[in-house]
Amino acid sequence: MSARWLLRRALLVVYTLLVVSLLVFGITQVLPADAAVTLLGENATPAALAAVRTRLGLNDPVWWQYWHWLSAVLVGDFGTSMRTGQAVGPVMLVALSRSLLLAACSITLMLVVAVPLGIVAALRRGRLADVLAGLVSYLGVSVPEFVTATVVLVVFADQLHWLPATGYVPLTENFGSGLFHLIAPVLTISLVLVAHVSRMVRSETVDVLASDYVRAAWLKGLPPRVVLLRHVLRNALLPVVTIVALDVGYLLGGIIVVEEIFAVPGIGRQLLVAIEARDLPAMQAGALIMAATYAVANFLADLAYAGLDRRIRYD
Amino acid sequence: MTATAPLLEVTGYTVDYATRAGDFRALEDVSLRVAPGEVLGVVGESGSGKTTLAHAIMRHLAGNARERAGAILLDGQDLMRLNQQELLAVRGRRIGMIFQDPATSLNPTLTLGRQLTEVLERHRGLAPRAAWQAGLDWLKRVELREPEALMRRYPHEVSGGEKQRVVIATAFAPHPELILFDEPTTALDVITGARILQLFSRLRRETGVAGLYISHDLAIVSRVADRVAVMQRGRIVEEEPAATIFHAPRHAYTNALVAAVPRPERRLVFDTPAAASLLAAEQLSVRYGRPGLFGRRETLGAHDVNLDVRAGEILGIVGESGSGKSTVARALTGLAPYSGRIRLDAQPVGRMGRTYRRSVQIVFQHPDSSLNPRQRVDEILSRPLRLFGGSVAEIPALLEQVQLPAAYARRWPHQLSGGEKQRVAIARAFAARPRLVICDEITAALDVSVQAAVIELLLALRRRHGTAYLFITHDLNLVRQIAHRLAVMRGGEVVDLLPVEALGSGCEHDYTRALMEASPTPAGRGTA
Amino acid sequence: MTELLFRLLRTKQGAVGAAILLVVTLVCVAGPYVAPYDPEKLDFLGRFAAPGARHWLGGDQLGRDVLSRLLTGARTTVPAALAATLLGTLAGALVGTLSAYLGGRWDEAIMRTVDAVMALPGLLLALLVASTLSKGGLGAAAAIAVAFAPGMARVTRSVALTVRRQEYVAAAIARGESGARIVLREMLPNVAAPVVVEVTIRVAFAVMLFATLSFLGLGAQPPAPEWGLMVSEGRRFLHQAPWLVIAPGVAIALTAIGFNLLGDGLRDAMNPRDER
Repeated sequence: MSARWLLRRALLVVYTLLVVSLLVFGITQVLPADAAVTLLGENATPAALAAVRTRLGLNDPVWWQYWHWLSAVLVGDFGTSMRTGQAVGPVMLVALSRSLLLAACSITLMLVVAVPLGIVAALRRGRLADVLAGLVSYLGVSVPEFVTATVVLVVFADQLHWLPATGYVPLTENFGSGLFHLIAPVLTISLVLVAHVSRMVRSETVDVLASDYVRAAWLKGLPPRVVLLRHVLRNALLPVVTIVALDVGYLLGGIIVVEEIFAVPGIGRQLLVAIEARDLPAMQAGALIMAATYAVANFLADLAYAGLDRRIRYD
Repeated sequence: MTATAPLLEVTGYTVDYATRAGDFRALEDVSLRVAPGEVLGVVGESGSGKTTLAHAIMRHLAGNARERAGAILLDGQDLMRLNQQELLAVRGRRIGMIFQDPATSLNPTLTLGRQLTEVLERHRGLAPRAAWQAGLDWLKRVELREPEALMRRYPHEVSGGEKQRVVIATAFAPHPELILFDEPTTALDVITGARILQLFSRLRRETGVAGLYISHDLAIVSRVADRVAVMQRGRIVEEEPAATIFHAPRHAYTNALVAAVPRPERRLVFDTPAAASLLAAEQLSVRYGRPGLFGRRETLGAHDVNLDVRAGEILGIVGESGSGKSTVARALTGLAPYSGRIRLDAQPVGRMGRTYRRSVQIVFQHPDSSLNPRQRVDEILSRPLRLFGGSVAEIPALLEQVQLPAAYARRWPHQLSGGEKQRVAIARAFAARPRLVICDEITAALDVSVQAAVIELLLALRRRHGTAYLFITHDLNLVRQIAHRLAVMRGGEVVDLLPVEALGSGCEHDYTRALMEASPTPAGRGTA
Repeated sequence: MTELLFRLLRTKQGAVGAAILLVVTLVCVAGPYVAPYDPEKLDFLGRFAAPGARHWLGGDQLGRDVLSRLLTGARTTVPAALAATLLGTLAGALVGTLSAYLGGRWDEAIMRTVDAVMALPGLLLALLVASTLSKGGLGAAAAIAVAFAPGMARVTRSVALTVRRQEYVAAAIARGESGARIVLREMLPNVAAPVVVEVTIRVAFAVMLFATLSFLGLGAQPPAPEWGLMVSEGRRFLHQAPWLVIAPGVAIALTAIGFNLLGDGLRDAMNPRDER
């Protein structure tokens, strides 16, 4: 792959992060008429308001506030939490690692289920298996995560007592118990992802099955197994990388809700706590880190896809 | 010839397609025979069922096909009675197939070499290394240079002609007894296509393979096949030796088909236009840019083009795809920015105002996208009428001029056939009462009989209104029938501009001569 | 238009989706009048009442009738989701069409920026915006509109580009038509169709998003009978009264499914050439 292409992509990631930082900062600090009032409430004393304004630098010109914040972030300083007084950065990054674990497990489970599901649905298009898979997918995309999570809680934790209701056990502490506690949240997130991805895999596979080159492979007299493996799957699975990257967006949204419901102390939960407490630095850090994760995930997916599909390299 | 047992024999074959609107009969009582080593041509327009026939023989029909009657015998064995396992021994090994578009019939994620060796491994039982060697030999045999490098390339890295040669090698390599050819040169440009046909005849002589050559192009089929079967709406209406079928057709449909095929010697225009220049292009250049954020990427669509159309004249522009002929049309109608000069009636044209627009109109190639699908025919026609000083009351008369019933005014485009859509597009152009109509490959997407009718319409309109045409096409024979002068374009440049009578006299450009030689006319024609 | 309706109802998805949405619309319009109880009426005797003759879908922790709350709650969620989607689509369509019209360098710049904005996942962006605005349904609706705008910009641009490439647009340009006329008369009717399909499906997502925001405390506020809020409040009493969560959950899902199905049906119905 050409260096020029790589440079372009890398520059785009930088541009993306810049825009995101502007957006996050703009919404949280610039948009509110008076962020101090938003933070402390209408009934705060003028003295308290003034103190907050000085502390957060709200009296400075906007662009200076932004530069001040951005330059700190670029060296890793995310500020101090208004709620706990601790440095925001380390807390967020630890929380991120937990969310990444959750995400990795969910994506793995999703791939194992969704890809075969989508392929089988395409191969048995119009038949019972396909219709059933379609129904499940429809439900998956029409039921919000908080409902799914709650149902999982009701069924598996409350009624059947198969899984613990909430709580998080670090894997380093107790691997088995840690995994056990992850099952419910991972299951919930994976459900939505499976619904999305299996539909897309099905759609891709249907297109490939109808293509001229697959027909040519049949007519060349190649046995079904060869046609499927060498001609159909190779082409149908190529976009899976892109599909998964797109779904990381849904994943991040779902993680916020799921971590809240299952009390997993990941970055989604941290963000919600920060929002509830109007903890500005923590809100900004959380949002920025989540968006950066998405941008990096997409970049990696671009690289992986270009590595697999030779046509892209000649862009 | 009749003594030998046929290799392929189809008897009384009938198949329907089950659709939501009922059963559609695709083939009706089709019978034909191909002797060993013989090539049978199958000619038909769209909807004739010729592709269904090919799929039926390969036993790969669509899921909603319902076979009602008949038998398909290969060397006496009924293919319709074989199960999937047994068919695997027939497909590719005993019957091969060469497809229309090599760009889509090759797997984009496999190397060309792999797609060739996989048939060698499968049907000739070769080990991978031996298959690789045999593959190399075959690539040489189909006249490809640097076969070692080519084996490692991917389809998108090579040209259309090279791809098709690989497809041919893939079909011939298992030494089949019969090969089905499904319009193998349609997706290629004329000169490349002609070379591919030469390759076919050479390979046929060398291997003695029998063939079923399916095409809509009479001229090609008559030169490639020994006998020709003509299909119309699912039936075979005539079957004759290739040498005589076009000289003395018996069935009315074949007659009409033969009459519709463009032949240079069958001139349709007999007047001589005036000498006054109507529209002229001087040193016209068009750049295609892609101004992205990271700098421009530009290609030259047309370069220093000089040509002119005289009042009432038909000027033909001939070239392959990418030759720049459509680019010139776009520049002349204000669809692409250009440098150089355009003159209308010898006056330079600065901004293309109402007068210019009224004088110069254009009809496009694709009937499916040239009419707004959300407007009825009367709405499509009323706009140019009102814009250029006519009135809505003229719509019935306009439709009548293009030989469409007045009731069509209330129809939607999707309710019209391809030929009817083009007629509406022509009516739309003539609503402005133009002095020049640019026809940009307007019949390329139509069947040959529909094309003949549209050409006749254009000539009738010209007789009535005295309109000039700038007729752009890739079909040299077609344009030789109607044009007064001819411009030949290649790579964005005009390589030849000459009166049509001068063709064949030896003073034409080499490229023009190559085009002439590559444009086949039906074989077996007598004099004139 | 009536022809479109018939074609829509002939598709399976369209028929079922339309049926579901008909019910939803009726509930939105007439719900409060049909509800057996006042949704805010407290009834300590009916606390945690299981679904039965007195309370068809049971009673919640304050004794309020779940069914009545469901019927009234539709009026909060559905119109908010519709409004948010339409607003977001309008904003997005403006940007998208402009970008397609400008083409070249501008188009690329605008689209790269839109892509960058989309690096903030929908829920995240909506959360941020909602947290800045005053709490309540209005804030949540505005937040959803902002979150939807970039996605709709992408969709409208892509459709606009496809339409612009069609030969009937070239014919109009060759006639010397003005840009405004081309956009309005030639392009817009053809852009509208795919966009309408996309909008319908987005409303489903907006319904879920609005409920999610309310669930997280940033949308409708108590004691409003909003479905997401009902799930959030009922969550604490999961063990003794699971119907408090299941009823509103089903309502949300059903509404979302209805819009999804309608969107799919519209997509099939609007394709005139699909006659297989």
